Amino acid sequence: MTETITIKTIASPLPIQSNGEPSGSQPPKSQKNMTKAERREQQERQRAAKTAAKAAGPSAKLAPAAGASNPKPAPAPIPATNTPAKRSERRGTVSGREAPNVFGDDSGKARGLRIFSHFGLPKPPSQAKGDIHPAIIRLGLQFSEFKISGANARCIATLTAFKTVIQDYITPPNNTLSRHLMTYLSPQITHLVSARPMSVTMGNAIRQLKLEISGSDIDLPEQDAKDALCLKIDNYIRDRIIIADQVIQEIAGSKIKNGDVILTYARSSVVEKVLLRAHAEGKQFSVIVVDSRPMLEGKKLLSVLASVGIQCTYLLLSAIGCVITEASTVFVGAHSLHSNGAVFSRAGTAMVAMMAKMHSVPVVVCCETYKFSETVPLDSFIKNELAPAGDLFSSTRSKDTLSLSAQPNFEILNPLYDLTPPSTITAVVTEVGVIPPSSISSIPLALGRTML
Amino acid sequence: MEVASVPEPAVTTDDGSSNQFDIFATYQSILKNEEISTPLAAILALTKLIEKSNAGTMFELVKALNDGAEILKKRTTNPISLNAGCELFIAFAYLFPHDADSFSDLKTELVKQGQRYATEALTYRDKIAKLALGFIKDDSVILTHSYSRVVMKTLLRAHERKRISVYVTEARPRGLGLRTYDELTAAGIPCTVVLDSAVSYVMDQVDFVLVGSEAVVESGGLINAVGSNQIAIIAKAANKPFYALAESYKFHRLFPLSQYDLPTHNPSILAFPLSSTATTVSSPTSSSGSTDGKTLPSEGPRFMTQEQVACNPDVDYTRPDLISLVFSDVGSLTPEGVSQYLVGMFAG
Repeated sequence: MTETITIKTIASPLPIQSNGEPSGSQPPKSQKNMTKAERREQQERQRAAKTAAKAAGPSAKLAPAAGASNPKPAPAPIPATNTPAKRSERRGTVSGREAPNVFGDDSGKARGLRIFSHFGLPKPPSQAKGDIHPAIIRLGLQFSEFKISGANARCIATLTAFKTVIQDYITPPNNTLSRHLMTYLSPQITHLVSARPMSVTMGNAIRQLKLEISGSDIDLPEQDAKDALCLKIDNYIRDRIIIADQVIQEIAGSKIKNGDVILTYARSSVVEKVLLRAHAEGKQFSVIVVDSRPMLEGKKLLSVLASVGIQCTYLLLSAIGCVITEASTVFVGAHSLHSNGAVFSRAGTAMVAMMAKMHSVPVVVCCETYKFSETVPLDSFIKNELAPAGDLFSSTRSKDTLSLSAQPNFEILNPLYDLTPPSTITAVVTEVGVIPPSSISSIPLALGRTML
Repeated sequence: MEVASVPEPAVTTDDGSSNQFDIFATYQSILKNEEISTPLAAILALTKLIEKSNAGTMFELVKALNDGAEILKKRTTNPISLNAGCELFIAFAYLFPHDADSFSDLKTELVKQGQRYATEALTYRDKIAKLALGFIKDDSVILTHSYSRVVMKTLLRAHERKRISVYVTEARPRGLGLRTYDELTAAGIPCTVVLDSAVSYVMDQVDFVLVGSEAVVESGGLINAVGSNQIAIIAKAANKPFYALAESYKFHRLFPLSQYDLPTHNPSILAFPLSSTATTVSSPTSSSGSTDGKTLPSEGPRFMTQEQVACNPDVDYTRPDLISLVFSDVGSLTPEGVSQYLVGMFAG
């Protein structure tokens, strides 16, 4: 792994140097002869080169050092200045050498979509640093490959893995569990986050776990303390997720009447359960499943609903205008709830909600209260994730398949989430009741605590 | 004072009714008192039920209360505000701190608390009237809808200090607006009855809209006599404030997603007749009294038949974004404030 990176970073400056850059063709000036602007420009370039090298990998520290010793001004690392032909040739050679390497694509993306470079990208977790528990390593891989996705599933999986970790943990001598376990868990959490950015649900659960750990009794025998923690974790999963889901199913189900047409977007585990339960109760309704590229998660929901005999319609997001007037209620799930009433959910939800609002169709978000976050996001740009790349064009017909590496001025942007503004949401169904988005900030109060 | 004396006859009237405690009869007799609104009557009926019940545990008691509430709900046509009262009292009984020595002590304590609350609740309208007074300017022209005790109290109180004039809607089919008209003119307030369909015509003349409420729901919206919603929409369109008056016992944990998501909605409301020819024949014959004539132009106005009225709702739901403020005894709340209050109140 390290080898390929070194090769790449050495390889990348080379063609540019032989490239005849406009700045390279000029005779190099010494620093003294430069004007102020020129000097600043050079500094900027060097800084950019340094960050690019850093992004390529920690082992590439050699590259900027070499660049600094070079009397020539360092070439601008932004590939846009290269001619497309040259660049593609270069990319071709590079990708030829490290074709299956995910990191090659990764660094290219970071360069091309610099404005989105802060979006978390699922990537195979880096080499486990330090003492990482195998359960966590496995979970990291499952996260990065989207084998486990969805806020609830990820939270449950994380907590279950932590139960194993806690059970396998042995307090080192001269330490106490309540103090040391936290330092042991921190790298595990870091490892998970390196696989995929932490979800709000995981953050809330882990915060609660940390609280429990620091609160555990020092005098308790180690095994008892571990068992107590595991019990706390089990209770958390039961109270905040499983039971909460059941309450939500009941409340949301009461909003489904005979003859209704329910519209839903993508696949939410809670909405799926709500629909299944309403069907089991004998309610007659049909469902419109709206879906979109690249994840096409709605297909799974469609197969589940169709298998129990609910009448379903399946269409892509672009066609929503045709059917929105047919719908009597829109049910969507959520990734997180925010104190200003906004709902962070699968990309496309905002559009569905806005369309529904335009046509006065009530939009109901089904969401457990443990998804509450006190942050106030104003748009979906500040914090987001990128869906796994490549899926966007993986059509069944091979001629549609676009080869990403062959396109120089072309990058794919797949944000995973978007922010639904509170004004488009009619109600949020939580286990504390049906509440309007404006009251989401009272959730901590409703749970009788000041902190979640 | 008169307030304190009010619930006493109501509570005592039903003592000798029968051995079997009939919660609905109790409820009805309490309602005979003009001052007591349905949620309060429900609360008083439930305190009566506690008094009569022989429940030995909290679980039994709450079950008995829920059963009683269920009976009341079934036997009334419009259970929304009644539900609000039952819900409030059952939640109160459930969360009441159990520091009494015995369970019968607890029961008497609950009864005492319930009656004290009902007595106190009768002062809420005065509180609200005082609160709303600050929003009524001299020379205001006010539009109100149908008949509401709390609106009447507010208007009469405002009349003592300020010059106000009132437009009131007729509020068909029950025509309760005429009652408002009678009482206001008797008190010397200039008042004009307008047609329900003339609300948009009158809106530009009006300074603000003042309505009572059947219930204030968790979205911050309002459930009130049918027609309130359209008045709110017109007020919004004309940029006039729309104020609602509601005692806090009318706050109800209900979240209607649409007009048809109300407990009062049933399939017969807004139903189309099975065959159109049959009704055109039957409607003149079944129409009672007023329009006997078969010739249309010569006779006076025609009225809806009973069956036609039956296809119409009693109440409608006003969305929170159409409401400017809700005046209640816990303060002047924005619709968001109402929902936050409700979420907090029933959190326990």
